[in-house]
Amino acid sequence: MSIGPESSYSSYSSYSSYSSYSSYSSYGVPNGLNPMLTEALITNRDGIVGTHIDHIADVAPGVPDSPHNLPRLALQVRAAIFQAELGSSVDITVDSDAGLPVATLWRRTSERDGRARKVSFHEMVEMTGPTTDQLATQLKHVAGYARIRPDRAAEITTQVGVPTAFFASIGFMDPARTPHTIELIYTALNFSSLLIQRTKYALAVKRPIEFSPQVQPMIETPTHGSLPSGHATEAFLIGRLLWKLLIESKAPQYNDRAYWGAMLMRQASRIATNRTVAGVHFPIDSVAGAMLGLTLADHLHAMCRGGTWTSAMFDAPKFDPEEDFDWHKLYNAEGDDMRRKAQSDRGTWAKTRQHKERGDDTPAPALSWLWTKALAEWRDLGDDCDN
Amino acid sequence: MEKWLPNPDPDAIHVVDHVTFFRLSRADHHYADDPDAVWWSVLVEVEGISIDQFQDRVAAFADDLLIPAAYDAADRRAVHGRQPIAIYARAPLIRHINDRRSEVGVATVLLGASAPDRFLDRDAQPRELPEVIVDDDAVLQAIIDDGIGIAHELFRSSATATRIHHARIFEAEPLADGKTSVGRGLDRADIDGLLQNCAFDDMLDEDLFYARSGQVDFGKGVFSTVALRRSHGTHIMALAAGEPMSDAAQKHPIICAALPSRIVNDTTGLEMVPVLYLAFHILVKQARRFRTRAGAPVPVVFNFSYGNTGGPHDGTGIFARLFDHYFGKDAETEQKAWLTLPAGNANLERLHAVSDERTEVDGTTTLDLTVLPDDRTPTHLQIWLPVSPEDEQPNIATISVRTPFGMDEGTIVTQPGQHAALVNKAGEQIAWLAYQYIGGQTQRGLVTLSSNPTANLLETSDLGPAGQWTVTIRRNAGASKEPIHLWVRRDETLPGQTSGGRQAFFDNLHYKRFDRYGAPLPVDPRDTTCPVQRAGTLSGFACDPAPIVVAACTEQEAVLSDYSAAGPLAPSPQGPQPPRDGPDLAARGDDSFVRRGVISAGSRSGSWVRLAGTSVASPQVARLAASAIGDAAGSGREWSRDAVARDPFPLKDHPSKTRTGAGAVRTPNRMTPD
Repeated sequence: MSIGPESSYSSYSSYSSYSSYSSYSSYGVPNGLNPMLTEALITNRDGIVGTHIDHIADVAPGVPDSPHNLPRLALQVRAAIFQAELGSSVDITVDSDAGLPVATLWRRTSERDGRARKVSFHEMVEMTGPTTDQLATQLKHVAGYARIRPDRAAEITTQVGVPTAFFASIGFMDPARTPHTIELIYTALNFSSLLIQRTKYALAVKRPIEFSPQVQPMIETPTHGSLPSGHATEAFLIGRLLWKLLIESKAPQYNDRAYWGAMLMRQASRIATNRTVAGVHFPIDSVAGAMLGLTLADHLHAMCRGGTWTSAMFDAPKFDPEEDFDWHKLYNAEGDDMRRKAQSDRGTWAKTRQHKERGDDTPAPALSWLWTKALAEWRDLGDDCDN
Repeated sequence: MEKWLPNPDPDAIHVVDHVTFFRLSRADHHYADDPDAVWWSVLVEVEGISIDQFQDRVAAFADDLLIPAAYDAADRRAVHGRQPIAIYARAPLIRHINDRRSEVGVATVLLGASAPDRFLDRDAQPRELPEVIVDDDAVLQAIIDDGIGIAHELFRSSATATRIHHARIFEAEPLADGKTSVGRGLDRADIDGLLQNCAFDDMLDEDLFYARSGQVDFGKGVFSTVALRRSHGTHIMALAAGEPMSDAAQKHPIICAALPSRIVNDTTGLEMVPVLYLAFHILVKQARRFRTRAGAPVPVVFNFSYGNTGGPHDGTGIFARLFDHYFGKDAETEQKAWLTLPAGNANLERLHAVSDERTEVDGTTTLDLTVLPDDRTPTHLQIWLPVSPEDEQPNIATISVRTPFGMDEGTIVTQPGQHAALVNKAGEQIAWLAYQYIGGQTQRGLVTLSSNPTANLLETSDLGPAGQWTVTIRRNAGASKEPIHLWVRRDETLPGQTSGGRQAFFDNLHYKRFDRYGAPLPVDPRDTTCPVQRAGTLSGFACDPAPIVVAACTEQEAVLSDYSAAGPLAPSPQGPQPPRDGPDLAARGDDSFVRRGVISAGSRSGSWVRLAGTSVASPQVARLAASAIGDAAGSGREWSRDAVARDPFPLKDHPSKTRTGAGAVRTPNRMTPD
């Protein structure tokens, strides 16, 4: 679990409490590569094994392809299963339009008929790269934001890795309390990191540092492309997933209280903007990233629970480069709703559409299990606390 | 090696203000644009003529003049003995009025900050200001500061209703509505509209608000400290006028002006008085709109939490005349107005020195002036001479300046036309020493020393030398024995600003900074002969007889704060007694030695931050004053003495009257989080 955008996911394991799961091994129970323990287990067996037992009692077979197995699997094993489900749910193609690269993220569904498959692809995100002139104009924002670097330094440096703590300061997350929510978030991040990197690679948008020697970012500029911003994608993905959990929890303090959703979005926006403050992103990178993250949140939710999903188009050349990033143009926390259209004088730069669930569009049982477990962590403990 | 040229410019005798002359005569690379295309705020005092007449007299420079729309037709017609006007002008006009031979009718010229063209609207026109009717017991609070978070909940009566009836945002570009010549004017309805448009899911997006109010636009380089966690104006205005949101809060209307933070980014000098005058004029106009239901004018308490070094320090300075101009006995207004000002924080900064009988040796005082390297703004020094009539300016002293590695001295005597220029090997001028006379009520000779920055990223040939300069004052035999005061002007860059100024200071060896335990000495040692002094450091703005001047104390230790500046002042030409001894009273500037500053509003609603200084003491007194002005019969200063007597906060170090005035007052601790 150490891959990811912005070279940050190494801090996956640095989310200290989370990684304390690995302290299992300090009990020496499973899988400890401890030579002394191995030696001890050998001599121990020799000491007590006794005469071979001939009559083994009935052993029930394993339950194939069933989420019932999941609680007994190691986190890394579950993570692999989730990625197997998610990874095959998308595909990316790249072409160009008027000399600008266009990355298309496809949503893949399949009808199953025995061993036969009928696979369909639907456009989920279409993203056209910005022009160099737009980026040169956007550089003015980067220069302006540099002025508030001292004010944001602590946030920026602690958000280089996964900013779980910043969301945990809004939604009450803790490894003891919400282990599956954290697992869900990291599942989403693991999935999105591949798409982010592939999209950045496709669009090959240069970083601010390549435009001017005066940017002088306050942190290292990652080597991958600038648009979409990985931090914006991840932050809006996390924020929206959490908001969906809160809504579905039906807990009175969360249910339909849009200020929870709005606060999560404010947090996501702050994290995204901090990357511009740091000098490693243009605001337009955050626009693209927020759009991708919000869309992926819907996709993930549909993969877990079924229901609607959203397709989105981001046409960067139509974005007014004088404009800053403003998430309200993309999303409304009330109703958990992506806005249908965003325009500038140059035309429509963002469009979204909601799609209903189709027959071949069934959720993945393993992911459903994860969502159900995560959701239970947000429900109030009342009469139905067995749920 | 640089050398001094004595009296190189025969026209120097005609210069009205030598600092203005110096600032407009630098090499091109000191300006962001073509020097003649740069707009500057300028305070001119016209004598015996109206604004309209002034405009007519400089009609040849019409393209270089902007008289702000804040001056309405009545203002423009009015004729006073001397009348300060804040204008915007370009160098050709400023040079013209700064030359006595032009005979424009201008008595003084004070060059303020440069202002980018886009912050000015030359087509703006005066507008009618309708009356604002408020409750009979309402008191208006007027705040001039910088970085004011006008959307903060403490200035609202509800989520989408502000208590601010007018905010002039000098930090913002004017709107295209032609209402403001400089900055953006937001009326209450404008602010309410922004609040409504920026509220989503019952929460105000304050980042978006300040983008739309024009206070912050990173893409256009428009910056206000409201973009930071801590902003001076938000903190100060909350201390003075912050209230929890409620309908009752409407009894406390606010008007405010946010000065441009770019003002301190000027690289030819730091002078905010012109724009301050304009801000004050705008707020006075706004204040006069307010009427009670019974039709009476509404009392108003102004707070301006800024200080400065320099000025004559005898109550006759140009800022001192500001309040008098609008609310003095000749101002023809029945509106009761008080003004609270901080005493200043310069007590320990070594920016003030005195040449008098105690500090002179054989009639001579020598000052070491440390000018720091990497100072990207010029250093300005003022030397104020004793009072003398304009037609008999005596030669009081011979003043010499030596640069750190200079072989010779620049020397002038204190007589009209005297000046000296420091030039480098390439013949470029890098410093200017000159005598001028300040007439009007002040009636003193003034010697100014101005030196180029010691660092410049673009050009290095005409830098001022960094290191220890020496300034020598030799009092001439038979001349007045009255003290000569020296002031280093402030050029330190404030947090959040970018100009890169570094503060020069006096560095005489026998200035005793610490006591025997290593703690900073807050008062000059008894019988000191060091010319560098804490006594008399009171802010140059705070020397007027009218305002309530507030020192700072530290609550837990119950002592006056070390930095809090003190009197005494110099006697004025109008009488042997100075207009005041020092501050009028002290209020909390620090919670304790460890918890520096006091808590008040951060830039965003719901956040709290600390700021220290007499700046934060002053608005707490403004809050008290606002609760008293309605019923008070006397002046603000009289009230302040009564306030201390009623609710004193005894100080254990028993500071002198010149440091605390009537003593410290308890202030309500209302603007802190639960």
